[in-house]
Amino acid sequence: MMIVLLIIFACTLIYFFLSERVEKHINLLAVQGTLLFIIAFINLIEINVLGLILILLETLIVKAIIIPRFLNRIRRTNNLNRLVENYIPFFYSVLIITAIIIASFFTAYSIRNHFVDVKFLAIALSTILGGIYFTIVHKNIFNHIVGILIVENGAFLLSLAVGGEFPFLVSMAVLIDILIAVLIIGIFIDKIGSAFGNMSTSSLNKLKD
Amino acid sequence: MALLFFFIISTLLALSVFSNKNRSINYSAASIYSLLHISLSIYAYLNLNHLDSVYFKFDSLGVILSGLLSIILIPVFWHSRYFLERYIPDRKMKGRFISLIIVLSTALSSIYFADNIVLVWVSLEISTVAITFLVYHERYPNALEAAWKFLFISSFGIVLAFIGILLLSVKVSYADDSSLSYTHLQAVAHLIDPLFMKAAFLLLVTGYSIKMNIFPLYPATVDAKTIAPFPVNALTSTAVLNGGFVAIFRLYCIICGTESAEWANRVLLIIGMTSLVIMSVQLFKVKRFSRMFAYSSMEHMALVIIALSLGKPGLYAAILHIMLHSLAKTGIFLHYGQIRAYYLSGWIPDSGDYMKQNGFSALVYILGLMTATAVPPSGLFVSEYLILRALFSEGYSYIAIAIIVLLSVVMYVIFKYSMQLLYGKLPDNFQKDKAIINKYEPVSQIILFGLVFYLAYFTPDFIKDIMNSIVQNLN
Repeated sequence: MMIVLLIIFACTLIYFFLSERVEKHINLLAVQGTLLFIIAFINLIEINVLGLILILLETLIVKAIIIPRFLNRIRRTNNLNRLVENYIPFFYSVLIITAIIIASFFTAYSIRNHFVDVKFLAIALSTILGGIYFTIVHKNIFNHIVGILIVENGAFLLSLAVGGEFPFLVSMAVLIDILIAVLIIGIFIDKIGSAFGNMSTSSLNKLKD
Repeated sequence: MALLFFFIISTLLALSVFSNKNRSINYSAASIYSLLHISLSIYAYLNLNHLDSVYFKFDSLGVILSGLLSIILIPVFWHSRYFLERYIPDRKMKGRFISLIIVLSTALSSIYFADNIVLVWVSLEISTVAITFLVYHERYPNALEAAWKFLFISSFGIVLAFIGILLLSVKVSYADDSSLSYTHLQAVAHLIDPLFMKAAFLLLVTGYSIKMNIFPLYPATVDAKTIAPFPVNALTSTAVLNGGFVAIFRLYCIICGTESAEWANRVLLIIGMTSLVIMSVQLFKVKRFSRMFAYSSMEHMALVIIALSLGKPGLYAAILHIMLHSLAKTGIFLHYGQIRAYYLSGWIPDSGDYMKQNGFSALVYILGLMTATAVPPSGLFVSEYLILRALFSEGYSYIAIAIIVLLSVVMYVIFKYSMQLLYGKLPDNFQKDKAIINKYEPVSQIILFGLVFYLAYFTPDFIKDIMNSIVQNLN
């Protein structure tokens, strides 16, 4: 069951690069959020009630509902439908993300540490590297926030891989922190859209002397 | 629990002025906060090495940096008054500015005293949010661009740092409140897989490099400082850099007790030298004073990182350099506010003939310039000398010589631009009738530059003791 979920999660990564529509990217983030909840729920057998509430908040509520709704609102306000600017063509990106997944798989299995769950580590590495690559190849700043969120999903998987369990208060602080950062980034994207008329990084180059 | 009270009172003060339109309430809140911060620093000194709840500890480095922030906050709040009166007509925005400074300073205090790696991470993120809104305070497109870049790259850095924390927590975290404390991590450092330790170190240093204005994430910091209001720059070029240093230093203390210590030293040395080379090249292209001083901060932080890479032999010099740089750069950025008010521009080509037009301020600028570029008898010369001496004594002569060459280049470029300001031709578009001069404004800078001299040559014994204890506590 877990393997199937992780494979579906890896497929969402490839699908991020196959799709040109911004709405699809947001929907994929919601799907990843839901998958993370199911994966965490199955994986953490001996979890206490507080821990369960926190995971529910972080994955289902924040990652699968609040953030996608917020991003959709920004998308509609700024009339963002289809990506037009990319540094690398989609076809090559799909090949590269596939290579990233394969390389992450081999890297994870080459690590000899019995405290680390390699299957989670493989997907976590793919997601983190895939998110960074997604951010780099897109010129549209809206997609940069999507890239950061993919990396954050990778970080969540990594926490499952290494079995690190933070104290409740600290986890709450991390969760609130991430949520606030995303909301503020969203607000700034909105402002850039109205101030510069577009969301391309090429219009953000006035600071160089 | 003293810090908890400090956080509560600070939050109340920040909230009370956030949407306030009354000028006297704003300045009263700023004064109360200054006093509160001084009290915290004194309390921390009196309770040196004592825990304050599970998450905080009043250690030597925290006490020094908190004390510095207390000193810096006084002129920053004082000059914020000039900034707000000159450039921010909206009364509500004035309150918001003071409120954000309070939030930033509180987050920085939390970083200084936190004994928990995740709390430092959370506090750094709070400081990012506060800095972003402060950079964007004047609400024009360039400010929006700078704020966006800072926010985005900081957030990216923070995510990388979080991944580093996760790697560091492999088999050392037991969901116990103290498990991610620096004290605990230092004790169990030898149990952490060296591969994970190295990966965590790289990710955390990369993530926090934006706060310390060093390679690799420095560009967003430099852009933010180019645009930020001058009182904000006086904080972001000093106390925020110190926050970045604390985050990296505490991590360094963990890795120092392991077999990866030598490797970490080499990484820090490479980061420091790369930063120094990059800033020396970039400095030739600057056209704005704020950008020039931002690169100057990068130079000093690069030196600090290089000194840290030497371990114990360079640590005393690094701490002294951080301390003196904080005071010097606060003064220089506050003076930049006066230059901007006089020429109604922050661009170097828009300035000129400062010595003849505004002689007293020009003399203070020269004093600041000498202090910031470490020209003897500047206090920073002492710390730079100590760093170079440590490099020679540890067998890094070629690195020391390269640093001397690079520092000479930096000094040449900064003096070249400053000559335009001091003796260059007055620009045709200069409007003498609109130029703002306040004869009391340079006083704060004279005091700050004087402090740099005093602390370097006549360091009080209690400060020496605190600095020595930081060195002794390193593995």
